[in-house]
Amino acid sequence: MARRNAVVAGAVMYAVLHPPNFYAQAAAHPRPELRRRPFALLDGDPPAEFVIAANKAARALGVEAGMTRLQAESFPEVTALSRTPADEASAHTILHNVVCLFSPRIEHIEISPGTYALDIEGMNRLYGDATQLAARLRQHTMAAGFLANVAVAENFHAAVCLALGRAGVSIAASGCEREALRDLPVRVLPLEPEHEETLHSWGVRTCGEVAALLETDLIARIGQAGKKLHALARGEWPHLMFPIEPSFEDGLSEHMELDHPVEVLEPLLFLLARMTDALLERVKEKALAIASLRVVLHLDSNKRHERTVRPALPLQDKPTLLKLLQLDLETHPPSAAILHLELHAQSAAPYRAQHGLFLPQAPEPGRLEVTLAHLKKLLGDERVGSVELKDDTRPNAFRMVPFAPPPPAKSEKQSLSVPTALRVSRPPQAVGVVLRDNKPTLVFWDGQRYAIREIAGPWRVSGQWWSEANWCREEWDVRLANETAERVCRIAFDPRSRCWYVQGTYD
Amino acid sequence: MPSSAAIRLHIETTLANRVPAALTLKIKQAPELFVTGIAEVDAVLDGGIPRGCITEVAGAASTGKTSFGLSAIAAITQSGAACAWVDVSDTLSPESAAAAGVELKRLLWLRTSAERKLKLTDKPWSRLEQALKATDLLLQAGGFGAIVLDMSDVVPQHAMRIPLATWYRFRLAAEQARTALIFLSQAPCAHSCAALALRCEPASVRSFSSNGETALFEHQQYTLIRERNRNESSVFLQKKPPLRAAWHAETLWSRVR
Repeated sequence: MARRNAVVAGAVMYAVLHPPNFYAQAAAHPRPELRRRPFALLDGDPPAEFVIAANKAARALGVEAGMTRLQAESFPEVTALSRTPADEASAHTILHNVVCLFSPRIEHIEISPGTYALDIEGMNRLYGDATQLAARLRQHTMAAGFLANVAVAENFHAAVCLALGRAGVSIAASGCEREALRDLPVRVLPLEPEHEETLHSWGVRTCGEVAALLETDLIARIGQAGKKLHALARGEWPHLMFPIEPSFEDGLSEHMELDHPVEVLEPLLFLLARMTDALLERVKEKALAIASLRVVLHLDSNKRHERTVRPALPLQDKPTLLKLLQLDLETHPPSAAILHLELHAQSAAPYRAQHGLFLPQAPEPGRLEVTLAHLKKLLGDERVGSVELKDDTRPNAFRMVPFAPPPPAKSEKQSLSVPTALRVSRPPQAVGVVLRDNKPTLVFWDGQRYAIREIAGPWRVSGQWWSEANWCREEWDVRLANETAERVCRIAFDPRSRCWYVQGTYD
Repeated sequence: MPSSAAIRLHIETTLANRVPAALTLKIKQAPELFVTGIAEVDAVLDGGIPRGCITEVAGAASTGKTSFGLSAIAAITQSGAACAWVDVSDTLSPESAAAAGVELKRLLWLRTSAERKLKLTDKPWSRLEQALKATDLLLQAGGFGAIVLDMSDVVPQHAMRIPLATWYRFRLAAEQARTALIFLSQAPCAHSCAALALRCEPASVRSFSSNGETALFEHQQYTLIRERNRNESSVFLQKKPPLRAAWHAETLWSRVR
C-alpha cells in the first residue's frame, strides 16, 4: 500500500525532540562557564553520591556514570556538581515552550527526560515540509541553549528511536521506517535489562538484526515482550498519543489591565462581576462550583494587594460570590490606586445536602456566609465567630474561630445545676480599695463607694513564670453594697503593678 | 341593600393584594416554646420562652440575667439549633458559657467594640448601634434558633433612647425568622413589642459558706418575676398578677465539692 507523504494534510506525522545527555545540559544551562570545562553531575545522599551524568570533556577524561564522588574527584580538572531539581524543571519549561511553538499536541516521553513528541500534522503550511520543520525545531532549541536531535517519522516509536540513536536531524520517509532504524543500536529500544543481555549473548547488536529475526522464534524465546520488540525494531508498533493538556485549575484565572488607575471600589465591582461570570461559566461546564476566589490587585505604588474569599461551601451563585468579594475588599481596602486586576478561582464539587423535615432550624450556608462578611465589616474580623476554649491555666483563655455550625443534631442534655455566670470586664477596670488587716473593706468604683459585705479569698493564681509574659494575681470574691444596689464581683490585686482591678461581675 | 357579609367580602377582595383577609380575625397559633433549662422558671413560663417572639429580661447587676440567658441558650444549642449572642459590652465569659452547657460551635458570638470606628467618639451608643445593626442582620439572615441581645451594662437612659420602631421591626423579623429574640437589659425598653417580659430581682442573700474555714462563694439565689406573657391563653382578657419563681445558681467550684 502506498503511504502518503509525511506532511501532506491528513497524514499523521510525529517529530521527536531529544536533548542528549539531558541532565548535564540542564545543569550547564544556567552556568555557561561550565560548558567549556569538564564537569560531572552527582546525585544521591552524601556520602553515597554517584555520578549520573558528565559532559563530553569529562567523559573524554574517563569520567563515567555510576562513579562515586571520590572517584570523580580523583580527576583534578573535573568539577563535581550536585544535581538540582530546579535546574531540570527550568530546562523542561524551556524545552516545553520551544515545542509549543511548533505544535499544539505534545506528549512528554517519560522514560527519556527532556524528550518531547510533537504531532506535526498540518504544520507544513507554517513551517514547510518535514525536513524544514525539523531543522527549524533544532535551530530554535539550540537558540534556547540546548543541543538536540530531531527525528520525524510516521510511526511514533520509530521517531523516538531515531531521535535517541542518531545525532542531528533524521527523517524517515513514509514506509521506510524499517530501513531508517536498521543501523541503530538495540539500546534505543525500550529493553528490559534481561532482554538486553539475551540479545547481546545472541550477537544481535542493531535494530535491523532484531527485525531480521523471525517474530514467532523471538516470542518463543523471550515471551510476549518479543512481539513488541520485533514491531518496534520494524517501526510498526502503534501508539495512542496522550497530548499534554493545560490544567483546568490553572486556566481558572482572569486578568484585566486598566486604562487609568482606579481608586474607588464601585467601578471595580463591575469588572469583577464580569470576571466572576466568566469563571463561573467555565466551572459550570464541568459541573463544578467555586470553592475560593483570589483577587490580586496590582497597585500604583508597585505593590500587590491580595485577598482570598473562601466561602464555607463551594458556590455557583454569582451574587453571593460578588457580595463576599465586595465586603472583603471594603473591609480590607487597597492602599493605593489599582492598575491591574487578576481573579483566580479554585473549583470543587458543588454542595448538595438532603435536609430533614424534622431537623432543627439552621442558617442557610450561602446566606450565612454573606451575613458573616457583613458582620465582619461592621465589627471587625476577630470579633465575629465561635469561641474555642484554650488549654491554658489562665482563667477565661479563649480563641475566636470561624463560625461553622455542625449539621443540626440533638445532643445529650447534661443534668447539671445552673452555674453562676461571670460577666468579664474587658479590659479589667481599675478600682480603689481600702484594706483592713490585709483584707479589702471598701471599694471605690465608677465614682461609687461600695462597702464589702462579704468576702472570700484570696485565691492566688499565676502562670507563665518561665517567660516574659508571666502573670500572677490575688483574686477575691466580694459582695459589694451601697445605698441602692448590691452586686457580687470578683476583684483582683496585681502585685506587680500594685493595682486593684474588677475582673467581672457574677450575674 | 347589600348585607354586611357582602360588604365585607367586597372590601376584602378589593384589599386582597395589599392586606390579605383584612377583616377576618386571625387565629393565632400558640408559639413553639424553648425550655430554659431551669425547672422552676419553666413552670412559671408555662414551658419556656416563646419562639418567634421577643423575650425581655430586665434587672440590675447580679440578679441572674446572664445565668438565665446562658441556660436558655444551652438548652437551645443542645437541641441542635444555632444561636447568636450579641454582646454590647464584650463581657461574655466563654468558660461560663461552656459550664452552662452551651455547645460553643453552635454559638455565634458578636463582640462590639468602641475602638472599631476611630472617627466616632467613644460614645456608649456607638456600641449599641453596632449591636442593633448586627441583630438586624442576623434576623434578616434567619436560621438562628435564638438571638440574645445582651445590653446588661448599658445604662437605662441609653437603652430608652432606642426608637420604638426598632423594636417593632425586630418583632416582625423575629416572627418571620421564627427566632426567639432575648433582650438582657437593666430596665425594660421594648415595651409592648416584648411578648414575654421578665424581671430579675435579687432574692434573699445567701451568705458565703465558711464551714469554719476560709469563706467560699458557692451559691446565689435569684428571683424571676413574670410581668407579662402575651401568648398566654386565657378566656378572661384581664391582666394576670405577676408570677414569681425562685431559683438558684451554683459557682463552678461548688460543683466539684
